[in-house]
Amino acid sequence: MNTKTKILAALGLLVAAGVLCTADIQATAPTAAQPPAQDKQFESYGQTQVIAVEPVKEMFSHKSHVVTAGLSCDSCHPDLFERKRGSTKAKGDYNMASLDAGKYCGACHDGKMAFNTTGPETCKVCHGSDMKQPETIVFNVPVKSVIFEHKGHVDMGLDCASCHDKAFEMRKGAAEEHPEKFTMEALYAGKYCGVCHNGTDAFASNTRCTTCHIGVKGFERKFAGAAQVEGKDHGKKEH
Amino acid sequence: MNINELEKLNNEGVEHLPSLERRTFLRAGLAITGLFMGGTILSLTSVRNAESAVGAPPKTEKYPYSPHYSMVMRQNLCVDCERCMEACVQTNHVPPYGWRTMILERVREIGPKEKETIFMPVLCNQCNEPPCVRVCPTVATYKDKTTGIVVMDSKKCIGCKTCMAACPYNARYFNEEIRAVDKCNFCYDTRLSKGKKDTACVEACPAKVRVFGDLSDPNSEVYKLVHRPETTVWVLRPETGALPNVFYMNA
Repeated sequence: MNTKTKILAALGLLVAAGVLCTADIQATAPTAAQPPAQDKQFESYGQTQVIAVEPVKEMFSHKSHVVTAGLSCDSCHPDLFERKRGSTKAKGDYNMASLDAGKYCGACHDGKMAFNTTGPETCKVCHGSDMKQPETIVFNVPVKSVIFEHKGHVDMGLDCASCHDKAFEMRKGAAEEHPEKFTMEALYAGKYCGVCHNGTDAFASNTRCTTCHIGVKGFERKFAGAAQVEGKDHGKKEH
Repeated sequence: MNINELEKLNNEGVEHLPSLERRTFLRAGLAITGLFMGGTILSLTSVRNAESAVGAPPKTEKYPYSPHYSMVMRQNLCVDCERCMEACVQTNHVPPYGWRTMILERVREIGPKEKETIFMPVLCNQCNEPPCVRVCPTVATYKDKTTGIVVMDSKKCIGCKTCMAACPYNARYFNEEIRAVDKCNFCYDTRLSKGKKDTACVEACPAKVRVFGDLSDPNSEVYKLVHRPETTVWVLRPETGALPNVFYMNA
């Protein structure tokens, strides 16, 4: 009798131990891959979705300036623009920063004489309707999976000039071209996101890390479809 | 009697069961219940070595190994960029289905409609009392006598996977290529024994989450972090009594 009792007790223990072990393993296993999120149009993995690098064609209407506005030739030539095709571009500083500083178009387009060049709506007047505002930007350089809610920031009431082109050049992937500059130290020094994220205007860059750094896991959950295309599945397999 | 014969037998029913047999059965049931109740009551009493929740400082004068390799995770700095995992895979030839280190993710409510994500890097804790070593039937896994690193001797491994079940940290996987269980060994064969001072994951981490060093050396950074006053240092699953050597804190 006694032997039987012992055997039964031992059996019970084994079963219980088995259950406990499995529970243990499950508890430590990483979260299983999430089902793919709803279809989202993104041009490619980790890239931002901004405007064409080159300004669109016919961004400047000579006619509307001469005929409609009635400007004389010497309003612009040769002080602002030389009378030679491509000469302005060749100077190398034909960009929004110069316009802001009152050069080229910025001589008149300062918000007083003519519409300014960096307002939320006026960008499109010259750069055309192909300029798409990205909803979410994901940076992968220098570290992976850092998210920026572009739409959220625009909805907050910020206009293009709040960030472009001083904190961020308005071009897809521009910040990521300089991984040695695009660092947390730069942010702490008031560059890039640090322009606002300094603890006064918005939460400081050295706090709440995971708000922007959503991690590879966060990224894969958010953009499940895109991540699979890239084939980056390491560490996400089932055990 | 084989299974086919068993199937042919008639059901005897319970009407004619001798009362002795019933009593034996009931007694067995009571024994099992008693065993578990006893366990429950025991678990309600204070844990003998609850100090192991903070783990580190040994009551005896020194740490058992020299160098006593250990790692400190400054958890709140981790942003899950997974460079550590990439470096580990490259250095230690970890197959795509395997892992030596991982990043776990947890979402914590910090207020109404406010959440924060916490990333937790995990790897083998190189425990002082490793449950995996205790269960290995072939001594294929053992504590290195000098460094305290839990090492695998893949030639001795028979692939029974008992160590995988015993590990409280899910730090082991079965490597199909070498037909043996594989695990983190603090890059002992790939880096430390070649004179490098830290592991591949430590070197790769851009946020300096991981700090690696000799816990028995009071001048090492790990020693200073683990023994820093007014700091909460914790280990994972202290209740297992495994005395892990990977410590967690917030920087």
